[in-house]
Amino acid sequence: MRRRVRGPVVAAALAAAAALCALANVLAYGDIPAGVVADVLAGERSGQQAQIMWTLRFPQAATALLVGAALGVAGLVLQLVLRNPLAAPELTGVNPGAVLGLLLALVLGLTDAASAAGALTAALVGGLAGGALTWLLAREHDSAQLVVYGLLCSALLTGLTTMLLAYQPSRFGNALRWLVGSVEGRTWDHLAVAGPWIAVALGCVWLGSAALGVLGAGDDHAAALGLPAARARGVALAGAVALAAGAVALAGAVAFVGLVVPHLARAAAGSDPRFGVPAAAALGAAAVTGADALAQLGSRWLAAEVDGQRLGLPTGVVTAVLGAAALVLVVRRGGRGAAMERTAT
Amino acid sequence: MSGRTLTGRADEAVAGAARSRGEVPTLLAAGGMFALLLGLGAVALSLGEPVIGVHRLPAVLAEGDGLAYVVLWELRLPRLIVAVLAGAAVAVAGLLMQEALRNPLAVPELLGVSGGASLVMAMIVVWGLPVPLGLHPAAALGGALAGGAVCLAAARLGRGAESVLLIGAAASTAVQALTLAVLSTASRLQYDSLFRYLVGSLTRMTWEHVAQLLPWTLLAVPLTLLAMPVLGLLRLGDDAAASLGVRVGWARLGLIALAALLVAGVVGPCGPIAWVGFLAPLLARRLRPSADARGWLPWTALIGALVTLGADQAARLVFAPVETPLGAWTAVVGIGTGLVLLRRSARPAPAAAEEVAR
Repeated sequence: MRRRVRGPVVAAALAAAAALCALANVLAYGDIPAGVVADVLAGERSGQQAQIMWTLRFPQAATALLVGAALGVAGLVLQLVLRNPLAAPELTGVNPGAVLGLLLALVLGLTDAASAAGALTAALVGGLAGGALTWLLAREHDSAQLVVYGLLCSALLTGLTTMLLAYQPSRFGNALRWLVGSVEGRTWDHLAVAGPWIAVALGCVWLGSAALGVLGAGDDHAAALGLPAARARGVALAGAVALAAGAVALAGAVAFVGLVVPHLARAAAGSDPRFGVPAAAALGAAAVTGADALAQLGSRWLAAEVDGQRLGLPTGVVTAVLGAAALVLVVRRGGRGAAMERTAT
Repeated sequence: MSGRTLTGRADEAVAGAARSRGEVPTLLAAGGMFALLLGLGAVALSLGEPVIGVHRLPAVLAEGDGLAYVVLWELRLPRLIVAVLAGAAVAVAGLLMQEALRNPLAVPELLGVSGGASLVMAMIVVWGLPVPLGLHPAAALGGALAGGAVCLAAARLGRGAESVLLIGAAASTAVQALTLAVLSTASRLQYDSLFRYLVGSLTRMTWEHVAQLLPWTLLAVPLTLLAMPVLGLLRLGDDAAASLGVRVGWARLGLIALAALLVAGVVGPCGPIAWVGFLAPLLARRLRPSADARGWLPWTALIGALVTLGADQAARLVFAPVETPLGAWTAVVGIGTGLVLLRRSARPAPAAAEEVAR
């Protein structure tokens, strides 16, 4: 009974937090008064400040929101369906595969960086291939070994990515942008393709979240309720890959969001995916926008206090540092639960 | 497998078992590998820009002057030696960890040992911490030990070695991400060479680096030999080893610390040469299925040197004139081949690993 009240309230609170983080993200530069945001939202586009706001800062904030929501939900789906608390897009070969697919398509000239649809397709193909590789290798082992095989695949794919990045460094600029992810420099053109894609995929996952809950309870349970477990699992995994690929096409492999956010979402909204999915989306969005605001503050501090020749902090670095800390907490708290889940499978 | 160890050392019995298993004769295997090593060494010394024909190598060295001499003596020869030493060291580190935790997937890369060493080196180089060059490996050792300790503590070593791998793997990903975080604060000018170094590269190896690597390798050899009997006893299983007077927990920690020592010595000058420690022991086991850790050790070292030297030639030559990072090649070759091998022998292997992992 307590949970029924808790779910929607928590989801609403998290959505509000995400909106606040987006605002913080827009204002993190500190050079434009907050009132301009209201003007731009009201339709005001003239004036230099409003222009900067509308063409640079708003797309960046929207990218962060979308990427966070996509990665958070992708991680939740993977963890539920694979029944492994460490199954995340970056540990199952999906994110590294998507990055490799994207860079490979750019190097081979199959698409160019300006084409948002091409980038999305390449990331999608790569993400599917990376996930499929992990699944092929790990399918005969139990779900506990899955992450280890997934990690090996991820390291293999990252090795190939590194080779590409070193082969044509001038072409990709800052390699970290791809390896740890960054939401900087995205425009409305990029969002026009990947935005609806992520939004539709999120909607589909949410509509299917009841089935996800059944699937998460076990194959026998699903079969007893008339759900074809194998097919449902395939569809759910495809949805997770679609979300992760959309995020990678927008921002590269933003690390640790898909790993940590689902645990936080479950702690906040309970284990029912009908509440867990919106909570993971809102929490992921808040996490990435918040991390981006911190990254911008950090970059400005480095440029001002250390020297102007330093690189900027990519968003993914902040999520990685905070995520690493959160991971330790999750592991400490969830170790016993994880062990129980493993024995249950 | 423990039974095989016990039937052990009588040469005739081993040879008989080898023949019946279709094992490659020792002499042939050793000869083949040394031939391969010589061949790769010749490639390493003669190919590149400028090409120095193999027949001219002694003459150029004797000459003691000129461009060819400088390239050969100052660039290619130290690089060759570093590749061989570093490859052997990380391969042996992999064998030690795999044997200590008795799991083919327990490698320095998955348990934070390599990651910790890289993280400390990244902090020293990127932030310009005042650590003298000679102490770099010592700092890396601190990082390797800390990384391994954090991962093992996160995974609660006492509670079952299966979770060690799972959680250690996730924690080592976190450590790698922190390394990238440190790298992202580098200045634009340093960035390219730092990126290469942090992936693992033998570009610009000099005799100084050889001198830096040598003491650590020399220190590790007697320690590894001392550890061999313990490895043999650990293979009998925890209970049997304990009843023979081995303090299993401490033995395991000591072996991992020794592996950290080997890895740290390499990460200091070369950066992480990843996944050689995963592949080389696997290959050595396939080459000598009836041997024990003592029998695998020399083969592991030799194969590690071969793989690293070969991968370095690929790094130098495949995309020439662009040099690709060695660490990327060893990762791709090491994991790719290792996964194929693991899958082929997988049916018994993970079961055995889990059985002993309790």
